[in-house]
Amino acid sequence: MNGPVRRLSIGVFASFFVLLMAVTWIQVIHADALKADPRNTRPALADRGKERGLIVTIDGTVVARSVEDPEDPRSFVREYPEGEAFAHVVGYNSFLVGSSGLEGAYAQELRSKVDLTISDLVTVILGRDLRPESLETTLNADLQRAAFEALGGLRGGVFALDPRTGAVLAAVSSPSFDPESLLGADTQASWDALLADPKSPLSDRATKEIYPPGSSFKTVVASAGIDTGEVEPSTVFPDPEEFQLPGSTATISNAGGGVCNDGQGITLLQAFVVSCNTVFADLSIRLGAEDIGITAAALGFNTDIPFPWTVPQAAYPVELLSEDPAALAQSGIGERDVRAAPLHMAMVAAAVANGGITPTPYLVNRIFDADGNTVETFESSPLGRAMAPATASVMSQMMERVVTEGTGRGAAVPGVRVAGKTGTSTGPEGLPNPWFIGFAPVESPTIALAVFLEGSSELGESASGGGVAAPIAADLFEVWLQRSP
Amino acid sequence: MTRNAEGATIVAASVLAGFGVTLVNFAQDLTIDAQVALTFLVFLIGFGGLHLAVRAFAPKATPFLIAPVAALTALGFFQIYRLDLALGTNRAGLQRWWILIAAGLAALTLALLARTSITVLRRYRNITLLVSVILLLLPNLPSDWGLPLRGLSVNGSRLWIVLDVGFTSLQFQPAEIAKLGLVIYVAAYLADHQQALREARRHLGPIAMPEPRQLLPLLITWGISVLILISQRDLGASLLLFVGFVLLLYAATGTAGYLVAGGLLGLIAGVASFIAFDHVQRRVIGWLAPFEHYEDEGFQIAQGLFAMGTGSLSGAGPGLGRPDLIPNASTDFIFAAVGEELGFAGTVSVIALFALVVAVGLGIAFRSRDTFRKLLAAGLTFVLAVQTFLIIGGIVRLVPLTGITLPFMSYGGSALVGNLILVALLLRISHEETQ
Repeated sequence: MNGPVRRLSIGVFASFFVLLMAVTWIQVIHADALKADPRNTRPALADRGKERGLIVTIDGTVVARSVEDPEDPRSFVREYPEGEAFAHVVGYNSFLVGSSGLEGAYAQELRSKVDLTISDLVTVILGRDLRPESLETTLNADLQRAAFEALGGLRGGVFALDPRTGAVLAAVSSPSFDPESLLGADTQASWDALLADPKSPLSDRATKEIYPPGSSFKTVVASAGIDTGEVEPSTVFPDPEEFQLPGSTATISNAGGGVCNDGQGITLLQAFVVSCNTVFADLSIRLGAEDIGITAAALGFNTDIPFPWTVPQAAYPVELLSEDPAALAQSGIGERDVRAAPLHMAMVAAAVANGGITPTPYLVNRIFDADGNTVETFESSPLGRAMAPATASVMSQMMERVVTEGTGRGAAVPGVRVAGKTGTSTGPEGLPNPWFIGFAPVESPTIALAVFLEGSSELGESASGGGVAAPIAADLFEVWLQRSP
Repeated sequence: MTRNAEGATIVAASVLAGFGVTLVNFAQDLTIDAQVALTFLVFLIGFGGLHLAVRAFAPKATPFLIAPVAALTALGFFQIYRLDLALGTNRAGLQRWWILIAAGLAALTLALLARTSITVLRRYRNITLLVSVILLLLPNLPSDWGLPLRGLSVNGSRLWIVLDVGFTSLQFQPAEIAKLGLVIYVAAYLADHQQALREARRHLGPIAMPEPRQLLPLLITWGISVLILISQRDLGASLLLFVGFVLLLYAATGTAGYLVAGGLLGLIAGVASFIAFDHVQRRVIGWLAPFEHYEDEGFQIAQGLFAMGTGSLSGAGPGLGRPDLIPNASTDFIFAAVGEELGFAGTVSVIALFALVVAVGLGIAFRSRDTFRKLLAAGLTFVLAVQTFLIIGGIVRLVPLTGITLPFMSYGGSALVGNLILVALLLRISHEETQ
């Protein structure tokens, strides 16, 4: 009878061995996938209360840090000393509502690897550092703060970068929120209130929302026209009161109505300086969607821009427009089907400032360890050449004229050569979205930016890029150029 | 290993239990309190007492059995204690009483059998059967007649009896004891009819069958027991009893046909219960696709897998994981809770300790001289092994979850009483075999 029992014993131990293999699969081979499953809240719960790395600006301002919890000496709480001005860029990391911004994008670097486990010990013996790493952003704290203040709680966004390198100098969205309100016991209540707020303070209007860029897009159309050799600043266009859209009874008229010059003719330069809609509708059709599309793409349209988080593509739908001349004409003045975030429009200005080469924006300058030693440094390679140096130089002169004598006079800074282009596009409920894109100083630009305001009742029906956005840009140029070296 | 060494390992297991509680306390609030000493003492008194009972009543029994059982109980206890802190329950306090009661009853079993011999159970097999069936039926007592003893449904399964004893009420799952009685009955019956059952006289097509007269009483009692359990919606116990019976039948006769027939019958019964019961369907859905049905059927299994995966190699550490997120972590899913906090190291240790217990139990069966002892030792060990496989296999998704507890480790007094008495019976058989 021992025979059958022996055979059954083999079966029993074989099934125990299968259990061992299953456990090995779950806890060794497949463990990382199970750990990373978004429905598995354990890793986030385990990180709660643990130290996280610093986030600082390149000028040394601390924008996120972990401090000891006064109520629990073993636990840390996250602080955001700069609060609302940096909220969208720095983001938050909450086990309840998820993560965003740099806190989300660099969660792995910023988290402490100290888990109080035996594997920690092994890691330490292997000589690796378990303490959290820290981020140094390219942001300039003064510029960021000034941009947030200048927006004054209105809906809008500012994006500024160094045209030579692509280093992001400011990325501000307004209205904002207090990231610390998403950490404590009231997280859910704060989150619900933010979601319910009609001004949607959680939206990142600098990098994650796209809008019609309005006349600021004329910079792209003009660059395409000059770069292809089709036109030059002195090319004379007809100067009608209205531009008849092909295949349609609709027309395009100029801001404030009437003709742009004398009703006889107007040069491209003049049209650019006074932001003449009829001329750019005309030019847009003369160039065709494909030629404009090539320049637009090289300036960052219809392209994925690498950034710490996903940035929506700026849109200039070439195929659609090549079949619809009416839409092509309207797109020539940055309406209809054209969409861009302040990030993209700032890249357009930066490309002109940078001699025709479009820089790729980058936000994190370096990662450093708990002892301050650099772990990794970052820079970006340019997106590519968008226009010939000569074209860029001509465009630069034209944009300077916009500020000295055209619609962008509000952006002028005494003693500094500023270049720019205004825009006023159709926003929510038909209210105007003011835009300004530009750079300074013209002779050797160190900053390129885009200022955007979203149409709202606070802003009014008569708000324009030159009237509202350009003065904000002037403030920011001043803050930047007076910075301590 | 000598008896003294066994004593030493029991002290070590008690230290393990106390140390587990210490680590949990330390991880939670940096304090060490009376729980540590209390736990250490309860393990020392419980398993130390059982050890002394073995010295007194079964001195020749194997010294390898109590130590791994004590270690498994300690590993389970520290998780029960740890889950108490997270969930605000007081199961560890109760479980400590049950450890003492179960060890006491196991010692009593040894004492009673010392006067006679294990064969007394063979003689009284019919009474054992009667008592077992009555025990199985007890939960069907009406719960609203105001009797001091009443049945109780928990989560739709009617497995419990409640005994009101004035100041408090005790809850008990009589099936955990009935399980032992049924194994004793089947082992005794098979031992009595072994020869007849082994000789297949009838042929049903290609399948050789023994005289139906020989098999019928066994089939009837076993069928009734399984039917009672199915009616009470005790999926795990019915499966356990079914498999245990088939394995014993094969062990007694060596006729592989019983395994095949049992397997087919089990398959048919499984399909039938899948069609008939929606709670069976839910189990199967949760087993096949836990992540696709994360919100309902699969939630518990998915949480168990998350817990074990997050624990990975070395675990979160005692008191540092979140096993409280798994539903029923201290009963059915205690293995996953151990996997989260002690990691792969912990789960492998648990499986190894169970393998050791099973190996010792089977060793007792191999060395036994007579058929009854052999079958009883093998039967008891198989029941333990199958139960371990079913619940761990359910957690790691090898088989559907059947809702039974992990022997020695899960929270639950009746199971602990039943399983420690099972250990006492094995010890007694072990003692008698070397006489």
